[in-house]
Amino acid sequence: MIDFSKLKFNNKEPIYQQIVDFVKREIIKKNAVDGDELPSRRELAFILDINPNTVQKAYKQMEDEGFIKTGNNVRSVIQINDEIYAKIENELTVSLVQDFIQSAKESALSYERVITLLSRMWDEDKV
Amino acid sequence: MIEIKNLTKYYGRKSLGLYDINFNIEGGQIIGIFGQNGSGKTTLLKSIMGLCELNSGTVFIDGKPAKEQYERLSFITEEGSFFPWMTPEEYGEFLSEFFDRFDQAKYHKLLDFFRIDSKAKIRTMSKGQKAKVETAAGFSKGADIILMDEPFSGKDMVTRKEFLKLINTSLRTDETILIATHLVDEIENMLDRAIILKYGRIAGDFYMDEIRQQGISLAEKYLEAGGYESERFNELLNI
Repeated sequence: MIDFSKLKFNNKEPIYQQIVDFVKREIIKKNAVDGDELPSRRELAFILDINPNTVQKAYKQMEDEGFIKTGNNVRSVIQINDEIYAKIENELTVSLVQDFIQSAKESALSYERVITLLSRMWDEDKV
Repeated sequence: MIEIKNLTKYYGRKSLGLYDINFNIEGGQIIGIFGQNGSGKTTLLKSIMGLCELNSGTVFIDGKPAKEQYERLSFITEEGSFFPWMTPEEYGEFLSEFFDRFDQAKYHKLLDFFRIDSKAKIRTMSKGQKAKVETAAGFSKGADIILMDEPFSGKDMVTRKEFLKLINTSLRTDETILIATHLVDEIENMLDRAIILKYGRIAGDFYMDEIRQQGISLAEKYLEAGGYESERFNELLNI
Protein backbone atom coordinates (compact mmCIF):
# COMPACT_ATOMS: atom_id res chain seq x y z
CA MET A 1 0.00 0.00 0.00
CA ILE A 2 1.31 3.43 -0.90
CA ASP A 3 2.30 5.41 2.18
CA PHE A 4 0.79 8.89 2.10
CA SER A 5 2.02 9.93 5.53
CA LYS A 6 4.98 11.76 3.94
CA LEU A 7 2.69 14.02 1.94
CA LYS A 8 2.65 17.55 3.38
CA PHE A 9 0.35 20.03 1.71
CA ASN A 10 1.23 23.56 0.70
CA ASN A 11 -1.62 26.08 0.57
CA LYS A 12 -0.89 27.38 -2.91
CA GLU A 13 -1.80 24.45 -5.15
CA PRO A 14 -5.07 22.53 -5.39
CA ILE A 15 -5.02 19.60 -2.98
CA TYR A 16 -6.01 17.07 -5.65
CA GLN A 17 -3.08 18.23 -7.79
CA GLN A 18 -0.68 17.76 -4.87
CA ILE A 19 -1.92 14.19 -4.41
CA VAL A 20 -1.45 13.40 -8.10
CA ASP A 21 2.08 14.89 -8.07
CA PHE A 22 2.95 12.99 -4.90
CA VAL A 23 2.00 9.65 -6.46
CA LYS A 24 3.99 10.53 -9.59
CA ARG A 25 7.09 11.27 -7.48
CA GLU A 26 6.63 8.01 -5.60
CA ILE A 27 6.50 6.20 -8.94
CA ILE A 28 9.71 7.87 -10.15
CA LYS A 29 11.44 7.05 -6.85
CA LYS A 30 10.22 3.44 -7.26
CA ASN A 31 8.44 3.67 -3.91
CA ALA A 32 5.30 2.88 -5.88
CA VAL A 33 5.44 0.12 -8.46
CA ASP A 34 3.03 -1.58 -10.81
CA GLY A 35 0.30 -3.37 -8.88
CA ASP A 36 0.68 -1.40 -5.61
CA GLU A 37 -2.60 -0.59 -3.90
CA LEU A 38 -3.84 2.88 -3.00
CA PRO A 39 -5.99 3.48 0.07
CA SER A 40 -9.74 3.69 -0.54
CA ARG A 41 -11.11 7.19 -1.04
CA ARG A 42 -12.52 7.38 2.47
CA GLU A 43 -9.32 6.02 4.00
CA LEU A 44 -7.20 8.60 2.25
CA ALA A 45 -9.56 11.43 3.22
CA PHE A 46 -9.19 10.28 6.82
CA ILE A 47 -5.38 9.92 6.66
CA LEU A 48 -4.86 13.35 5.14
CA ASP A 49 -7.71 15.24 6.88
CA ILE A 50 -9.21 16.29 3.60
CA ASN A 51 -12.53 16.19 1.84
CA PRO A 52 -13.52 12.85 0.20
CA ASN A 53 -14.64 14.82 -2.88
CA THR A 54 -11.05 16.00 -3.29
CA VAL A 55 -9.69 12.44 -3.11
CA GLN A 56 -12.23 11.42 -5.72
CA LYS A 57 -11.02 14.23 -7.97
CA ALA A 58 -7.37 13.16 -7.57
CA TYR A 59 -8.16 9.49 -8.31
CA LYS A 60 -10.20 10.49 -11.34
CA GLN A 61 -7.28 12.51 -12.71
CA MET A 62 -4.83 9.64 -12.11
CA GLU A 63 -7.20 7.29 -13.91
CA ASP A 64 -7.50 9.74 -16.81
CA GLU A 65 -3.72 10.05 -17.01
CA GLY A 66 -3.58 6.27 -17.09
CA PHE A 67 -1.35 5.35 -14.15
CA ILE A 68 -3.94 3.98 -11.74
CA LYS A 69 -6.71 1.51 -12.39
CA THR A 70 -9.93 1.07 -10.43
CA GLY A 71 -12.06 -2.05 -10.64
CA ASN A 72 -15.42 -2.73 -9.04
CA ASN A 73 -15.43 -2.80 -5.24
CA VAL A 74 -11.66 -3.15 -5.01
CA ARG A 75 -8.91 -0.71 -4.17
CA SER A 76 -7.33 1.30 -6.97
CA VAL A 77 -3.91 0.03 -8.02
CA ILE A 78 -0.90 1.56 -9.71
CA GLN A 79 -0.69 0.56 -13.33
CA ILE A 80 2.47 1.54 -15.16
CA ASN A 81 4.50 0.37 -18.11
CA ASP A 82 7.72 1.76 -19.59
CA GLU A 83 5.87 4.24 -21.73
CA ILE A 84 3.86 5.77 -18.85
CA TYR A 85 6.92 5.77 -16.60
CA ALA A 86 8.92 7.67 -19.24
CA LYS A 87 6.09 10.15 -19.68
CA ILE A 88 5.84 10.87 -15.94
CA GLU A 89 9.59 11.14 -15.60
CA ASN A 90 9.81 13.57 -18.48
CA GLU A 91 6.97 15.65 -17.05
CA LEU A 92 8.51 15.85 -13.58
CA THR A 93 11.95 16.67 -14.96
CA VAL A 94 10.61 19.44 -17.14
CA SER A 95 8.64 20.97 -14.26
CA LEU A 96 11.67 20.72 -11.96
CA VAL A 97 13.82 22.59 -14.46
CA GLN A 98 11.07 25.13 -15.12
CA ASP A 99 10.84 25.89 -11.40
CA PHE A 100 14.61 26.23 -11.22
CA ILE A 101 14.75 28.61 -14.18
CA GLN A 102 11.99 30.71 -12.67
CA SER A 103 13.76 31.08 -9.31
CA ALA A 104 17.04 31.80 -11.09
CA LYS A 105 15.37 34.57 -13.08
CA GLU A 106 13.74 35.96 -9.96
CA SER A 107 17.21 36.18 -8.44
CA ALA A 108 18.37 38.05 -11.57
CA LEU A 109 20.88 35.33 -12.50
CA SER A 110 22.14 35.34 -16.09
CA TYR A 111 22.07 32.24 -18.27
CA GLU A 112 25.88 32.29 -18.46
CA ARG A 113 26.26 32.50 -14.69
CA VAL A 114 23.85 29.58 -14.16
CA ILE A 115 25.66 27.42 -16.71
CA THR A 116 29.05 28.26 -15.19
CA LEU A 117 27.84 27.41 -11.71
CA LEU A 118 26.13 24.24 -12.90
CA SER A 119 29.23 22.98 -14.70
CA ARG A 120 31.44 23.72 -11.72
CA MET A 121 29.12 22.39 -9.02
CA TRP A 122 27.61 19.39 -10.79
CA ASP A 123 30.24 16.92 -9.61
CA GLU A 124 30.73 18.41 -6.16
CA ASP A 125 29.43 16.17 -3.42
CA LYS A 126 28.11 18.83 -1.12
CA VAL A 127 25.37 20.40 -3.16
CA MET B 1 -29.68 22.05 -3.55
CA ILE B 2 -29.97 25.00 -1.16
CA GLU B 3 -31.16 28.18 -2.85
CA ILE B 4 -30.84 31.49 -1.03
CA LYS B 5 -32.55 34.46 -2.68
CA ASN B 6 -32.52 38.13 -1.65
CA LEU B 7 -32.11 37.20 1.99
CA THR B 8 -32.21 40.19 4.32
CA LYS B 9 -32.36 40.05 8.07
CA TYR B 10 -32.31 42.91 10.55
CA TYR B 11 -32.26 42.58 14.30
CA GLY B 12 -34.55 45.21 15.74
CA ARG B 13 -34.99 48.16 13.43
CA LYS B 14 -31.47 49.07 12.51
CA SER B 15 -28.99 46.37 13.41
CA LEU B 16 -28.07 44.53 10.22
CA GLY B 17 -27.75 40.75 10.23
CA LEU B 18 -27.60 40.01 6.51
CA TYR B 19 -28.30 42.16 3.47
CA ASP B 20 -29.53 40.86 0.10
CA ILE B 21 -27.68 37.54 0.16
CA ASN B 22 -27.93 35.35 -2.94
CA PHE B 23 -26.23 32.04 -3.58
CA ASN B 24 -26.86 28.37 -4.28
CA ILE B 25 -25.23 25.32 -2.75
CA GLU B 26 -25.04 22.08 -4.68
CA GLY B 27 -25.58 18.91 -2.66
CA GLY B 28 -22.53 17.06 -1.33
CA GLN B 29 -20.24 20.08 -0.93
CA ILE B 30 -18.29 21.10 2.15
CA ILE B 31 -18.41 24.86 2.48
CA GLY B 32 -16.63 27.18 4.88
CA ILE B 33 -18.40 30.37 5.95
CA PHE B 34 -15.81 32.91 7.10
CA GLY B 35 -15.96 36.40 8.49
CA GLN B 36 -15.22 38.39 11.59
CA ASN B 37 -17.48 38.36 14.61
CA GLY B 38 -20.70 40.11 13.72
CA SER B 39 -20.32 39.57 9.96
CA GLY B 40 -23.46 37.44 9.78
CA LYS B 41 -22.17 33.86 9.89
CA THR B 42 -24.52 32.62 12.60
CA THR B 43 -27.47 34.54 11.15
CA LEU B 44 -26.86 32.84 7.80
CA LEU B 45 -26.85 29.35 9.36
CA LYS B 46 -29.97 30.13 11.41
CA SER B 47 -31.72 31.43 8.30
CA ILE B 48 -30.96 28.21 6.43
CA MET B 49 -32.25 26.22 9.42
CA GLY B 50 -35.44 28.29 9.35
CA LEU B 51 -34.75 29.50 12.89
CA CYS B 52 -35.18 33.21 12.28
CA GLU B 53 -37.85 35.44 10.81
CA LEU B 54 -36.49 37.00 7.63
CA ASN B 55 -37.19 40.61 6.69
CA SER B 56 -37.17 39.55 3.06
CA GLY B 57 -36.03 36.77 0.78
CA THR B 58 -36.34 33.02 0.76
CA VAL B 59 -34.32 29.91 1.59
CA PHE B 60 -35.38 26.77 -0.24
CA ILE B 61 -33.97 23.29 0.08
CA ASP B 62 -34.73 21.23 -3.00
CA GLY B 63 -37.57 23.63 -3.70
CA LYS B 64 -39.19 23.55 -0.25
CA PRO B 65 -38.73 25.64 2.93
CA ALA B 66 -36.56 24.22 5.70
CA LYS B 67 -39.49 24.15 8.13
CA GLU B 68 -41.21 21.46 6.07
CA GLN B 69 -38.20 19.14 6.15
CA TYR B 70 -36.53 19.78 9.45
CA GLU B 71 -35.40 16.14 9.70
CA ARG B 72 -33.02 16.69 6.81
CA LEU B 73 -31.07 19.35 8.70
CA SER B 74 -28.77 19.18 11.65
CA PHE B 75 -27.45 22.25 13.48
CA ILE B 76 -24.39 21.86 15.67
CA THR B 77 -23.98 25.03 17.66
CA GLU B 78 -21.83 26.40 20.42
CA GLU B 79 -24.86 27.11 22.57
CA GLY B 80 -26.04 23.50 22.33
CA SER B 81 -29.49 22.28 21.43
CA PHE B 82 -29.74 19.69 24.22
CA PHE B 83 -31.76 19.97 27.42
CA PRO B 84 -29.38 20.48 30.35
CA TRP B 85 -31.52 18.51 32.80
CA MET B 86 -31.28 15.36 30.69
CA THR B 87 -28.50 12.81 30.58
CA PRO B 88 -26.97 12.08 27.13
CA GLU B 89 -28.83 8.76 27.20
CA GLU B 90 -32.19 10.46 27.83
CA TYR B 91 -31.40 13.06 25.19
CA GLY B 92 -30.73 10.27 22.67
CA GLU B 93 -34.10 8.68 23.47
CA PHE B 94 -35.78 12.05 23.08
CA LEU B 95 -34.14 12.59 19.69
CA SER B 96 -34.99 9.15 18.39
CA GLU B 97 -38.66 9.77 19.19
CA PHE B 98 -38.50 13.01 17.27
CA PHE B 99 -36.40 12.00 14.30
CA ASP B 100 -37.10 8.75 12.47
CA ARG B 101 -33.60 8.65 11.09
CA PHE B 102 -31.81 9.21 14.41
CA ASP B 103 -29.10 6.55 14.73
CA GLN B 104 -28.88 5.46 18.40
CA ALA B 105 -25.99 3.06 17.78
CA LYS B 106 -23.91 5.75 16.09
CA TYR B 107 -24.78 8.27 18.82
CA HIS B 108 -23.58 5.95 21.60
CA LYS B 109 -20.50 4.99 19.63
CA LEU B 110 -19.58 8.67 19.34
CA LEU B 111 -20.29 9.32 23.05
CA ASP B 112 -18.00 6.41 23.92
CA PHE B 113 -15.35 7.73 21.57
CA PHE B 114 -15.52 11.11 23.34
CA ARG B 115 -15.44 9.32 26.72
CA ILE B 116 -18.73 10.92 27.77
CA ASP B 117 -20.63 9.40 30.69
CA SER B 118 -24.05 8.83 29.13
CA LYS B 119 -25.70 8.65 32.56
CA ALA B 120 -24.51 12.02 33.91
CA LYS B 121 -26.72 15.12 33.72
CA ILE B 122 -25.59 17.30 30.84
CA ARG B 123 -25.72 20.45 33.00
CA THR B 124 -22.98 19.07 35.25
CA MET B 125 -20.59 18.74 32.32
CA SER B 126 -17.76 21.04 31.23
CA LYS B 127 -18.14 23.28 28.19
CA GLY B 128 -16.01 20.89 26.13
CA GLN B 129 -18.03 17.84 27.17
CA LYS B 130 -21.29 19.60 26.32
CA ALA B 131 -19.89 20.42 22.87
CA LYS B 132 -19.11 16.73 22.42
CA VAL B 133 -22.66 15.68 23.32
CA GLU B 134 -23.92 18.29 20.86
CA THR B 135 -21.61 16.99 18.14
CA ALA B 136 -22.46 13.32 18.73
CA ALA B 137 -26.17 14.13 18.52
CA GLY B 138 -25.74 16.35 15.46
CA PHE B 139 -23.88 13.69 13.50
CA SER B 140 -26.36 10.95 14.45
CA LYS B 141 -29.50 12.67 13.30
CA GLY B 142 -29.28 11.14 9.84
CA ALA B 143 -29.45 14.60 8.30
CA ASP B 144 -28.12 15.25 4.83
CA ILE B 145 -27.43 18.92 5.51
CA ILE B 146 -25.21 19.59 8.51
CA LEU B 147 -24.58 23.13 9.71
CA MET B 148 -21.83 23.81 12.24
CA ASP B 149 -21.34 27.07 14.07
CA GLU B 150 -17.79 27.62 15.34
CA PRO B 151 -17.09 23.92 15.94
CA PHE B 152 -13.48 24.68 16.84
CA SER B 153 -14.06 27.36 19.42
CA GLY B 154 -12.77 26.48 22.85
CA LYS B 155 -11.02 23.40 21.52
CA ASP B 156 -7.26 22.91 21.80
CA MET B 157 -5.14 21.88 18.83
CA VAL B 158 -5.34 18.15 19.50
CA THR B 159 -9.09 18.30 19.85
CA ARG B 160 -9.39 20.34 16.66
CA LYS B 161 -7.40 17.68 14.81
CA GLU B 162 -9.59 14.95 16.34
CA PHE B 163 -12.63 16.88 15.30
CA LEU B 164 -11.54 16.92 11.65
CA LYS B 165 -10.95 13.17 11.79
CA LEU B 166 -14.37 12.79 13.31
CA ILE B 167 -16.06 14.76 10.54
CA ASN B 168 -14.35 12.48 8.05
CA THR B 169 -15.34 9.23 9.75
CA SER B 170 -18.90 10.31 10.45
CA LEU B 171 -19.82 11.35 6.96
CA ARG B 172 -21.44 9.24 4.31
CA THR B 173 -19.81 11.62 1.75
CA ASP B 174 -23.07 12.76 0.18
CA GLU B 175 -23.96 15.23 2.93
CA THR B 176 -23.83 18.96 2.41
CA ILE B 177 -21.85 20.63 5.17
CA LEU B 178 -21.59 24.28 6.10
CA ILE B 179 -19.02 25.24 8.69
CA ALA B 180 -18.98 28.78 10.07
CA THR B 181 -15.65 29.65 11.64
CA HIS B 182 -12.95 32.28 11.72
CA LEU B 183 -10.18 29.68 11.90
CA VAL B 184 -8.92 29.36 8.34
CA ASP B 185 -5.91 27.06 8.78
CA GLU B 186 -7.76 24.27 10.55
CA ILE B 187 -10.37 23.74 7.94
CA GLU B 188 -9.13 24.93 4.56
CA ASN B 189 -7.99 21.52 3.28
CA MET B 190 -11.43 20.11 3.98
CA LEU B 191 -13.32 22.63 1.89
CA ASP B 192 -14.73 22.56 -1.60
CA ARG B 193 -15.74 26.18 -1.41
CA ALA B 194 -15.41 29.23 0.82
CA ILE B 195 -17.83 32.11 1.35
CA ILE B 196 -16.59 35.22 3.13
CA LEU B 197 -19.04 37.56 4.82
CA LYS B 198 -18.39 41.16 5.76
CA TYR B 199 -20.92 43.49 7.42
CA GLY B 200 -23.75 41.12 6.46
CA ARG B 201 -22.80 40.97 2.78
CA ILE B 202 -20.93 38.43 0.68
CA ALA B 203 -17.38 39.71 0.23
CA GLY B 204 -16.00 36.58 -1.41
CA ASP B 205 -17.33 33.30 -2.80
CA PHE B 206 -14.97 30.89 -4.52
CA TYR B 207 -13.92 27.30 -5.02
CA MET B 208 -10.70 26.31 -3.29
CA ASP B 209 -9.25 24.62 -6.37
CA GLU B 210 -9.82 27.78 -8.41
CA ILE B 211 -7.99 30.17 -6.10
CA ARG B 212 -5.13 27.72 -5.60
CA GLN B 213 -4.85 27.26 -9.34
CA GLN B 214 -3.99 30.98 -9.31
CA GLY B 215 -1.51 30.42 -6.49
CA ILE B 216 -3.60 32.27 -3.90
CA SER B 217 -4.18 30.86 -0.43
CA LEU B 218 -7.45 31.11 1.46
CA ALA B 219 -5.78 33.22 4.17
CA GLU B 220 -4.76 35.79 1.52
CA LYS B 221 -8.26 35.83 0.05
CA TYR B 222 -9.74 36.22 3.51
CA LEU B 223 -7.54 39.22 4.31
CA GLU B 224 -8.29 40.78 0.94
CA ALA B 225 -12.06 40.23 1.08
CA GLY B 226 -12.20 41.12 4.76
CA GLY B 227 -10.82 44.53 3.87
CA TYR B 228 -7.54 44.34 5.73
CA GLU B 229 -5.73 47.60 4.98
CA SER B 230 -2.02 47.37 5.65
CA GLU B 231 -1.57 51.11 4.90
CA ARG B 232 -3.56 52.02 8.00
CA PHE B 233 -0.67 50.79 10.11
CA ASN B 234 1.63 53.33 8.50
CA GLU B 235 -0.07 56.03 10.53
CA LEU B 236 0.78 54.16 13.71
CA LEU B 237 4.37 53.61 12.60
CA ASN B 238 4.84 57.33 12.02
CA ILE B 239 3.88 58.29 15.57
